[in-house]
Amino acid sequence: MNNDIPRTQYAALNGSVVVDSILRLSPVSLLSNPVMFITELMFFIVAAMAIYPQGFAPAASVGERAYYVEIASILLITVWFSTLSDALAEQQAKNTAGSLRKLKTKVISKKVLREAFSSTVVPTSSDELSKGDLVLLEDGDVVPIDSEVLEGIAMVDESLLTGESAPVRKAPGDVLIGGSRIVSDTLTVRISVNPEEGYINQMIRMVESSKRPKTPNEQAVTIVLIGLTGIFTIIILALLGLSVTLGLGADLSVLIALYVCLLPTTIGALLPAIGLSGISRLYQRKIVAKSGRAVETAGDADVVLLDKTGTITVGNRAAIEFIPFEGYSERQVGEAAFLSSWYDDTPEGRSIIALSYNKGFVPKNLNSLPLSEVFEFSAVTRTSGVKIGRAQEFMLPKGRSRGRMRRKFSSDSVASDDDQSPDLEIIKGAPDSIKRALISPPQDFDAVVDAVAAAGETPMAISQNGEALGVIRLKDVLKPGIKEKIQGIKTMGIRPVMITGDQPLTAKSIAGEVGIDEYVPRAKPEDKFAIVQKEQAQSRVVAMIGDGTNDAPALAVADVGLAMNSGTEAAKEAANMVDLESNPAKIIDVVLLGKQLLMTRGAVTTFSIANDVAKYFAIMPVIFSATVPQLEALNILHLGLHSAVLSALIFNALVIPMLIPLAMRGVRFRPSGTMSLFLRNAFVYGIGGIVVPFIGIKLIDILLSAI
Amino acid sequence: MIDAIQAAYVVAILGAAIFSGWLLAPYVVGVYNRSPGRLDRFLDPLENLIYRVVGADPAHTMDWKQYFLAALLVNIVQMAIAAFILLFQGSLPLNPQGFSGLSWDLTFNTVVSIATNTNLQHYNGETTLSYLSQMSAIQFLQFTSAATGLCAAVAFVRGLTNGSRDMGNFYVDFVRSITRILIPLCFVAALVFVALGVPQTLGGYVTVKTIEGASQTILVGPVASLVSIMQIGTNGGGYYGANSAYPFQNPNPQSDILEIFLMLLLPTTLCFVYGLMLGKKRETRPVLFGAYALFAIDLIIAFIPTSTLNSGMEVRFAGFWSAFWTVVTTAVTTGSVNSTLASQHPLVVLSAFMGMLIQSTPGGIGAGLMYMVMYAVITVFIVGLMSGRTPEYLGFKIRSRDVLLVMSAFLIHPLIILVPTVLAYATGAASTIGLGTNSLGFTQVLYEFTSAAANNGSDFLGSMADTPFFNVSTGVVMFLGRYAPMGLLLALSGSVIGRKRSPESGLKTDTIAFTAVLVGSIMILVVLTFFPFLALGPILSYFQGNVNGLG
Amino acid sequence: METNPENKQKASYRPVVGIAIVSLLVCGLFFPLLVTAVGQVVFPHQAGGSLVKLDGRTVGSELIAQGFSQRVFFHPRNASASGVDPDITVQDAMSQVARISEASGIPVSVLQQLVDANIDASGRLVEVQYVNVLLLNIQLVQDYPSVYSAYA
Repeated sequence: MNNDIPRTQYAALNGSVVVDSILRLSPVSLLSNPVMFITELMFFIVAAMAIYPQGFAPAASVGERAYYVEIASILLITVWFSTLSDALAEQQAKNTAGSLRKLKTKVISKKVLREAFSSTVVPTSSDELSKGDLVLLEDGDVVPIDSEVLEGIAMVDESLLTGESAPVRKAPGDVLIGGSRIVSDTLTVRISVNPEEGYINQMIRMVESSKRPKTPNEQAVTIVLIGLTGIFTIIILALLGLSVTLGLGADLSVLIALYVCLLPTTIGALLPAIGLSGISRLYQRKIVAKSGRAVETAGDADVVLLDKTGTITVGNRAAIEFIPFEGYSERQVGEAAFLSSWYDDTPEGRSIIALSYNKGFVPKNLNSLPLSEVFEFSAVTRTSGVKIGRAQEFMLPKGRSRGRMRRKFSSDSVASDDDQSPDLEIIKGAPDSIKRALISPPQDFDAVVDAVAAAGETPMAISQNGEALGVIRLKDVLKPGIKEKIQGIKTMGIRPVMITGDQPLTAKSIAGEVGIDEYVPRAKPEDKFAIVQKEQAQSRVVAMIGDGTNDAPALAVADVGLAMNSGTEAAKEAANMVDLESNPAKIIDVVLLGKQLLMTRGAVTTFSIANDVAKYFAIMPVIFSATVPQLEALNILHLGLHSAVLSALIFNALVIPMLIPLAMRGVRFRPSGTMSLFLRNAFVYGIGGIVVPFIGIKLIDILLSAI
Repeated sequence: MIDAIQAAYVVAILGAAIFSGWLLAPYVVGVYNRSPGRLDRFLDPLENLIYRVVGADPAHTMDWKQYFLAALLVNIVQMAIAAFILLFQGSLPLNPQGFSGLSWDLTFNTVVSIATNTNLQHYNGETTLSYLSQMSAIQFLQFTSAATGLCAAVAFVRGLTNGSRDMGNFYVDFVRSITRILIPLCFVAALVFVALGVPQTLGGYVTVKTIEGASQTILVGPVASLVSIMQIGTNGGGYYGANSAYPFQNPNPQSDILEIFLMLLLPTTLCFVYGLMLGKKRETRPVLFGAYALFAIDLIIAFIPTSTLNSGMEVRFAGFWSAFWTVVTTAVTTGSVNSTLASQHPLVVLSAFMGMLIQSTPGGIGAGLMYMVMYAVITVFIVGLMSGRTPEYLGFKIRSRDVLLVMSAFLIHPLIILVPTVLAYATGAASTIGLGTNSLGFTQVLYEFTSAAANNGSDFLGSMADTPFFNVSTGVVMFLGRYAPMGLLLALSGSVIGRKRSPESGLKTDTIAFTAVLVGSIMILVVLTFFPFLALGPILSYFQGNVNGLG
Repeated sequence: METNPENKQKASYRPVVGIAIVSLLVCGLFFPLLVTAVGQVVFPHQAGGSLVKLDGRTVGSELIAQGFSQRVFFHPRNASASGVDPDITVQDAMSQVARISEASGIPVSVLQQLVDANIDASGRLVEVQYVNVLLLNIQLVQDYPSVYSAYA
């Protein structure tokens, strides 16, 4: 695996795991795992042979009790290794979800009962709350269940869920996750789900393997395993039949040893753990999958729809230059920009202030300028601005940075120093909106705006009292490492498509910068639905992220929909995964994890089957050694008569714990094409699967004969 | 080992089969796509007449169940007709030698054997069957079983083809297989065989006084017409008990080469048909190269020892051509022989087993292709998972039901080989006909059921196995070995119809790299399944030093 | 023909039986009879079993071995796959030359030349050297009538 996905710490082998693994040895609990069930059945048969060899007279050489005991023990250990891996995987899943479980502990909440003119607060246990109930949350309270803010603004600590340490501001309409804690102020919230539907519960259901339904791919692999088990059962029964009818004198225990060696015990033992740990790994990335199926589907993604903002860029643009129109100076543009952004708290606004400050374009007499009105950004006009009147209390010191700026006022500022100066109205915003409001746009307006746009950057026009001064050049800021990630998924044959509200030239520039060939500019959230459908019509598997209500239809039809936890309830319900950290770039990790899960399952299956070749060569020469000594020629490993069977069986058992780490952390891989992954893994686990047991069995044989 | 000239012959014959298959494939595709062709002028009216007479609507299309059921029922009625002829040949015309009817169990075995494209022969034709039986029971079923194989494969490929809506119409495919592919090819081949010395007469056996004055019966009959379809149709059931070792069936090296070529022709052609019909020519690669790579492995095993002329061979074919034939006849599961199996080195027999256990090297007509796709699906599923995507073949995702179908189809083979093999010993049926409990006897019993299950037809036992046990058991095995996998694989193909296909980025199955993995997987699967039994049979024989044949 | 949706139902048995019978007629009678007719006309000798005559009398088929036990003749193999292998290896033929020469008085060198001249041409092509026993013996009878009149 590349560095993007951190290695998983798997659960330690502790007392409770061991106890759990021993409890799982009960034949009843093994019923869901046919391979291991049969292995245990074989243990009982050989154990019976050890106790009462006479009962198996024609197929048991009496007097070899010790041998039967050895074989029986190894068989039992084989089964135990399997239950141990199950127990470990489940322990791991429980550990990672442990924090959630703690959060789920019952809390007493203040349920609000509203009547006509009054409302009462009733202390209610969280598990008695239901969807639609109102709850009052005060400083220090824990959010009982996922809910929506109705009234109030407060800071909420979500660190236990998202890992983000800074408290988050929550206002009406925002979503609260069950388990987060109010750290200031008071909120009235409405419970948005029934207690059993909360994400925590979904997550806990997912990790409890007993309740986890098999994914389609797991089902298919299980069918292969049952098929192979059927084939090997036929083989062993036929060998037994031939041994009896032809008088070949095979010992039942040796046949059973061959049987168990041939059975796909390795993958049979590890299959549940592989699926479970895949989901655990996803959870360690703070992503909650609603089903295992969604994780596998992610591995199949042909197309990933990436929102530009938040995924490719950090979500804001930074001002990098002031370009004046003819007749104005850079300073005029810069100072106007500064003033217009003084109350603009968006990252873009802040970057404008910073640029002005760095360039020294801070208006003179800033503290004496009166402010009369602030126009917040409006989606309709796509502009924002300020109107500065005569009021003297303009601008109080608001923080250290602004204080510093004030001290740096330049004395040769152009701005009026007259108290009687007229109202100043500065508007900044989308060039076409600004242009529309101008009385006579400067001749070079379009040329300057287009030049900026042509470079793929965003022009923001600025006007003062109806005259355009110039343009602020804004540039998108790429997320660190995003270029490499996109290159990675492209290498794996997945098509990234960038969705952005930007105009085409800007979109093209960003796309080009990170290596994306396809982008949809000027897209509205509703367009995602059409894009998903268009791709699906061509039978492609589409993965996407979404947060807003507008995204919900697209999330619902997309094969893999990753919703942001910060997003709306509708989006989260429509998606099949939710990222608790609300980091859209993680869609790429989800795809890689899905691939890793499938790869691991295939690798262990292939390895398990390929192992059988060597086991034949170990055991076949021995089975009929009494009557057909010539088959000794197949004993290419030169194993001892007795130790051959034991060596093969021991190897067969030891492979399971040796592969537990692989099952838990997944097959490592570097992003590369489907075919090269296929060939590389086919070589490593196929050829390796043939060669390794020859070496392993021989080593065990040497060890056994040394003892 | 073989010398350079012999190796050159092998390469030339295989090359000729591949080249001819490539030439013939577009025509075959045209036949099933009902594309206009030069023969339409003569054959359209004839075929339309047939459809009208039998009441089949050529415009009607079938789903997989209807298609399979039609094939199965037509085959069963054909078996019934042939059974009637065999049972009552004594009272029917064209019986100059006055042979009497066959026993019920031999009749059952024979009709199932020929109709399933197996041609396991528990009788010696020249001393058992009338001319009518040879023509209207044996040759008849040889045509129809080959046609059924072609139909099944074509329907199978139709289902797998992206955008297809149905499996086609069995009756139309069946009639066109016969009128446009089998009869034209067989007619030309039969005349060449006659020219090379294969008799074709209804005049009855000729009795002559030899030079030394003894009386000799020359067993002539309608042989050439049978030899052509038995080889082209990968049937393998000979006119004579000695099959193509009998000089009238295979008079000289030229006829031998032609017969080897003919049995390779259609199975190889179907590999090309596969890619063409799918609309993905490159998909021919894994099935063709995969089949021939496995075939090459078989040949290498067989040619490790130097086969030398012995009492189970014919002088004109000597060791090399006898061993070569034995490998080819099992590689395409034809089952005709030009020497006795008992005369073959154990490694040649091992190689023959491999052909029958794999069944797609390139395998029998139609069946071979279907098995190769079955292996491809298994390989794509198990090994393909390691590419990090839900396994896809030809763009469709492999679901659990698909896995269930292919695993079942694969599981049938060991089941129907091993269970009756054990039964043959457990019931004493093997010892009744004098088969030992040593490696030689075991090889013969295992071979009998392997050949029956693979619908191959070559055997050690021949008329020795004309006992109720072997007649019935191999009859059942042949029936299951033919129709169970056919039904399961048609079900797979039928379920693919209308399924979403992803257009790109999946596993590229049309590459040499995938082909190599496919070959490796097939070898492992087959070796894992049958290794212990091969070890007790030909491998043990080899270690025991039976290098001059297993006899 | 137009599509008849009713066909699905009634199609179940009539086409099944019909197709089976038509295929019997086409494949099981028409085809072999056609090949017989054409074969008999174009290649009558081969179609009839490649029968060979000696002095106007049919004595056998060149493709089927016949028994020779007298010392003056080349003997076929007793054991072969078909039981009627018409050929013997050149080695085998050469090993019989001394016996035949002794019994018939024909010089060894003449017999050896005769064997050499009779090596099958198509056999040479595939590196298998053999001679047809019946044809060899017929040539002996024809070349040495005086010797063989007593035997044949």
